Amino acid sequence: MTALALALLLPWVVGVVLLLADGRRKLVGWAAVAGLLANLGALIWLAVRVLPDGEQTIVTGGWTDGVGIVLRADALGVVFALLSSLVVLAALVHEVLEGVRSRTFPALVVLLATGLTGLFLTGDVFNFYVFFELAMIAAYVLTAYGDDRHQLGAALIFAVVNLVGSFLFLIAVAATYHVTGTLEMSEVAARMADVEPNAAILIAVTFFVAFGTKLGLFPFHFWLPAVYAGTRPAVAAILSGALANIGAYGLLRFGAGLLPNELELGSTVLIVIGSSSVIYGALLAVSRRDPAEMLAYSAIGQAGYVLVALGVGGPIGLAAAVLYAILNALSKALLFLSGALRGALVAAAFAVGALSLAGMPPAAGFLGKLQLFRTGVEEGSVALIVLLFCGGALSFVYAFQLYQHEFWRGDRVAVGTDSEKGVPAEPSGVAVRAVSVVLALLVLGLGIWPEPLLSLSADAAAVLHGGAVR
Amino acid sequence: MTLIFAIAAGVVFGAGAFLVLTNDLVRVVAGMVLISQSAVLVVISSGLTRGDAPILPTGDKTPSDPLVQAMALTAIVIGLAVTALLLAIVARVRATLRSLEVRELARDEAEHTAELEQSLDTMHEQLASDEAKEEQ
Repeated sequence: MTALALALLLPWVVGVVLLLADGRRKLVGWAAVAGLLANLGALIWLAVRVLPDGEQTIVTGGWTDGVGIVLRADALGVVFALLSSLVVLAALVHEVLEGVRSRTFPALVVLLATGLTGLFLTGDVFNFYVFFELAMIAAYVLTAYGDDRHQLGAALIFAVVNLVGSFLFLIAVAATYHVTGTLEMSEVAARMADVEPNAAILIAVTFFVAFGTKLGLFPFHFWLPAVYAGTRPAVAAILSGALANIGAYGLLRFGAGLLPNELELGSTVLIVIGSSSVIYGALLAVSRRDPAEMLAYSAIGQAGYVLVALGVGGPIGLAAAVLYAILNALSKALLFLSGALRGALVAAAFAVGALSLAGMPPAAGFLGKLQLFRTGVEEGSVALIVLLFCGGALSFVYAFQLYQHEFWRGDRVAVGTDSEKGVPAEPSGVAVRAVSVVLALLVLGLGIWPEPLLSLSADAAAVLHGGAVR
Repeated sequence: MTLIFAIAAGVVFGAGAFLVLTNDLVRVVAGMVLISQSAVLVVISSGLTRGDAPILPTGDKTPSDPLVQAMALTAIVIGLAVTALLLAIVARVRATLRSLEVRELARDEAEHTAELEQSLDTMHEQLASDEAKEEQ
């Protein structure tokens, strides 16, 4: 219980205090890192308690059950919170070592981590919206970070599109309250079965559109490439490795957790949208030449896999969706962080990320692809297996096109008008490279010893379909 | 009553969406404000009971649902923060581009992309000529 409260309060306080300080000073940056480390520590402590004995719940403000806002940590939430916190921490350390360029950057990153932790650990639908906005607002500001004036336009588009998504989410929350009379997730799930089917389907579709926008799925993806293409690598890593988890988690929690009947009804639609997302993202990624844009389109494709797994459903499909979301977040963060660096071992770290993205055996991404294939076999659908194979082959092509582009060309000509964006030819500092290498080792380690991750994702998925938590 | 709320929320949302699609950045922000207000309308109309002020229920009439009022207040506050943020971004766009038009923003971005492509092309050409020289 203390761990749950600490995981939220510590970064919150640190974030607010740091807003007053000048983030460009090293000390402030390291204080932010310490805040995030505390958050990660509390989450690990929480995970150690939650994973063996099931969920932990707090009713805030000392209210009685059913009145106060409920914070709940279960396996699914803890897994996603840990993952996001880890990615954000890696990105922040990377940026602090490289040199922070704006006053507010460290504080905003810490507040974003707070919002993410909160929304993964809340048991209340409206509270989810509040934390979600906290994380998103920090992200809107972070997109404009980096002094590139072209980023402003991207930040504006990002903010407007995602705000429309957020307000749609709010409307869906209001509708959920109207038809079920409660905001508590477990109660909503229990009462949703008796709701009139028309209303339930409308609510489900609105939630889907809201999270689809966030995740950047195929018909809602148009904002994504412009945003990723111009941001600093650390921000791109945060956006694709931590913020995109909101979409995946939201689809899992609200789709499979709260509206399982509607999810089943719409499974064909989900699989079709997911498949088109996979193909569209992969094809455009192959055709792009700017590395950041290539990775952005690849993110659209990777989101499609999560949706396909979710559409197939069942214990195997859901576990595959969780696993794929985790591995994709890790490999994307690794690719964005190491792609901007130069020097010994960086290319190796990038190669591990590229292998993971393409789903080659020594890296952890292989597990994700393997579980997806299992899902396809379980479903008995040849079309699905062919799709997964084509998507995998294409991701192999663009991942190594990217590798060749980034590391085999020697000195690169500065890209764009400002020489700032060009990658320096001299090697980056040892400490910055160490961050990428540690992430790469993690991805490699998870691939070589996959057992913990597999059981973790199975546990997380078990929360959703009501299976027994070990 | 629900129908009136539904129509009002729909009209406000539609007006907001229309403004978001216009060329003027300030109108885009105004459109976002309208969309956020339509969400607040939906929240307040989703209350389960309607009646007396819920602060001190007298027992004669059913009190209105206090929960949706709390939610609407929170939503209004978040909407305010978001509006301030959007206006700040628009102000910075105005300071750097000296324009408040979406078209200008798009043109600037298109130019930037073209420059990027061009510099990549020159890079490829240079590499090709370097290779050719080496072969000779």
